[in-house]
Amino acid sequence: MNGTLGHTGVLLGFAAALVGIVVLLVGLVRRRPGGLRAGRFYAPLILLGGIVAVVAMQRALITHDFSLTYVADNNSRSTPLLYSITGMWSALAGSILLWGLILGIYATGMVWRFRHRADDQLVAWATLVMYVVCAFFFGLMLGPADPFTHVSSVPLDGLGPNVLLQDNPLVLFHPPMLYLGLVGFTVPFAFAVASLVTGRVDEDWQGETRRWTLFAWTFLTIGIVLGAWWSYQVLGWGGFWAWDPVENASLMPWLVGTAYLHSVMVQQRRGLLRVWNLSLVIATFSLTILGTFLTRSGVIQSVHAFSTSSIGPLLLGFFGLVLAVGVGLIAWRGDRLRSPGGIDSPMSREGAFLANNLLFVLFAFIVLLGTVFPLLYEAVNSGAQVAVGAPYFNRLIIPIGLGLLFLMAVAPALPWRKSTAEIMRGRLAVPAAIGVLVVVGCVIGGITGIEPLLAFGLGAFAAASAGRALVLSVRGAWRSARGAGASPARATLAGWRGFVGRANGGMVVHIGVVLIAVGLAAATAFGQRGTVVLAPGESGTFAGHTVEFVGTRVVRTPSHLSQQALLRVDGGAVFTPAISQFGTGTQAVGTPAIDSSVTSDVYLTINSIPAKGGPWTFGVVVQPLVMWLWVGGVLIVVGSILSAVPGRRRRPTDPVSTPVGAAAPPVAPDLDPEPEPGARTDREPVGAGEAT
Amino acid sequence: MTGVLPPDTATAPPTTRPARRRHTARWVAVTVLVVAAGLIAVLATRQPAAVSEVQSPLVGTQAPPVRGLTVDGRAFALARPPGTFVVLNFFAPWCEPCQAEGPELVHFAFEHQQAGDAKMVSVVFDDSASDARSYQATLGATWPTLADPQGTIALSYGVRAPPSTFLIAPDGRVVAYIVAPVTAADLDGLIARARATGA
Repeated sequence: MNGTLGHTGVLLGFAAALVGIVVLLVGLVRRRPGGLRAGRFYAPLILLGGIVAVVAMQRALITHDFSLTYVADNNSRSTPLLYSITGMWSALAGSILLWGLILGIYATGMVWRFRHRADDQLVAWATLVMYVVCAFFFGLMLGPADPFTHVSSVPLDGLGPNVLLQDNPLVLFHPPMLYLGLVGFTVPFAFAVASLVTGRVDEDWQGETRRWTLFAWTFLTIGIVLGAWWSYQVLGWGGFWAWDPVENASLMPWLVGTAYLHSVMVQQRRGLLRVWNLSLVIATFSLTILGTFLTRSGVIQSVHAFSTSSIGPLLLGFFGLVLAVGVGLIAWRGDRLRSPGGIDSPMSREGAFLANNLLFVLFAFIVLLGTVFPLLYEAVNSGAQVAVGAPYFNRLIIPIGLGLLFLMAVAPALPWRKSTAEIMRGRLAVPAAIGVLVVVGCVIGGITGIEPLLAFGLGAFAAASAGRALVLSVRGAWRSARGAGASPARATLAGWRGFVGRANGGMVVHIGVVLIAVGLAAATAFGQRGTVVLAPGESGTFAGHTVEFVGTRVVRTPSHLSQQALLRVDGGAVFTPAISQFGTGTQAVGTPAIDSSVTSDVYLTINSIPAKGGPWTFGVVVQPLVMWLWVGGVLIVVGSILSAVPGRRRRPTDPVSTPVGAAAPPVAPDLDPEPEPGARTDREPVGAGEAT
Repeated sequence: MTGVLPPDTATAPPTTRPARRRHTARWVAVTVLVVAAGLIAVLATRQPAAVSEVQSPLVGTQAPPVRGLTVDGRAFALARPPGTFVVLNFFAPWCEPCQAEGPELVHFAFEHQQAGDAKMVSVVFDDSASDARSYQATLGATWPTLADPQGTIALSYGVRAPPSTFLIAPDGRVVAYIVAPVTAADLDGLIARARATGA
């Protein structure tokens, strides 16, 4: 029953995508607007197919229908409801099902948004690309990643989910967020292909693409931060990032997507970098497919790679197709679509964005190289194996990270087109002084090490620079409200407008990134790990923290049996790291307990329980400022939402800082659809001031 | 939005730029395609065989003791150091991937019984000794199979799910940890690698 329903859903999705492709192709070839309009009705059908299949799968999981192989492998009678639901994305076939559902949601959202422009060729091409991707993923579920195969004989009980995936409710959120991000990059890709095919690379479409990218990027950010948090809460080694191929697979599209979100502003503002932006969009999507291949084909060893399957060659083939189409189109059209003109001066906002792009792309390349290097090495050296570990990544990534922090500090103060030393001195003096003060403070406080000091100093510089931009824009919003005759109280309320819009939301994101950078630098440079061996009643000290072993406790739930240790940290609250047995027998997994505070985290694990009496061994990891990683993650999300809210729109009759149209070149429109209130009301000559 | 331009305008040569069209985008794109084709070729030819090997703190350290009652009720203890390569396989009769790798293990054990350079030891993971005994008998596995009813061996090796396989070198160090069905060829490859790196 569940199997039949599920197969029906998958088949519906696949067939709808195929028919949609045919209808759109016919409409495009014969240039029939009616055909193009008809093409949009297949997206909701794809979504319906996805929903039917997901409902069937959830029903099977929740009712423990072990006649499905997938359920028998990932569910058991004692699995609680929450982890039955999450079972859908804890193995390969189910994760493809989730992918298909989200793809259906995006496809439907896209045709809905462009329902009034459905007979536009560009929209039709983008929808077509979307359907091709849908057909591929639903096709996978008809072939090698079929989630609805039946077992030969129905077992009495299933294996249950991987024990690591039933220890923390975060598994409910982390994979769907990640997929909402990764899958979301399909829409920008579809528009990039459509732009190249139709030859319309104008800034209007970049505005659309940017919005979709920002949406996907925000979810991907949430997914990555949640993944790091989950890893920290569950895995018991006190770390949050391990340069594991699965992690890298989500980081690479994030990096290139971040580069795009910056450089697209150059295009919207100055009409430059058109082909470069399209390339970034294509690269982002290609990297999500490559990452999907790397983590699901089994070619790379990883702690949490999916089990091997025959899905690999198909994903690789699809990656090749995506790349061939995307890059092929750029080779064919790129040179004709290039923007005329170039960047006037490296010391300008666009120059800084270009440098930012180069660093982000280099960053992504280093991650990609580190991820596939073991495979390349093996291929060249006939089977010899090599591992690429954290030292490689740290050595290459830290300088890039510091460079990005520096750009983050300088770029918001740079005007468009060109700058002068005096302008920069005026705008950066205070932030730079704050950065220097922080470094001096750190040195006085006894912090050594060139890398953490640089990270703290540049971080403070960047945060101060972002803060300065926000203060100016809030002040600008306040003043303009006052100027329009608002009372002081109302004007203060209007000040919140200084936080919304592309530039201001971006500054909030920057502050979040700085918090993460500072947290990372502190936790990795000054973290200490060790063990304490304690009998019940004893206390010990590690890295300045006292740990008292108060006692033990056994907790029994239907799904597991936990042996907990009660540990009092620094004479305060009691924390309970545990070792839990899941299922009927031998599977044991440790659960850490974390004493988290704004200054530092004390991370406790049970390393070993003696067989008969005697002292226990506890692992202790003390890392400063870890909490700021999560706070920074939240700020990034808040900032992304703020930057998606349209900023204050300037009425055409409003005065601007320079008479418009005086000598603005026709190809570089200087009117921004989302003017930055801060920059506009700033008394310094910004942007348009140097337009002539 | 004021930036809507017909594509023709974009190609019209502005006065400050040379009119000759450059082909940078094309050359870069072609280069990217060539590099990507190479990458895809490498990825396509990789065997997903040795891939499920995972990192574990155990790898490189002395193997924890393996002793207890076998499923036939006899006492067994693995010598420390064992003197030959030992393949320590955690399995369960109810686990489908274990059933897939079973014949490969029998094949491996037979080959190396002749040579005497490696031996098999199995540990039952989360199932009864009697089930495991009849399973091993059906498979034709004659090597020692430990019952491990309390899961102490599995816990000491950090095994979370079957099948999990460890390769222990003659000097007693764990040299590989695989969480997936193995083939005889995989195991031979791991042994060859261990020998090459001086185990």
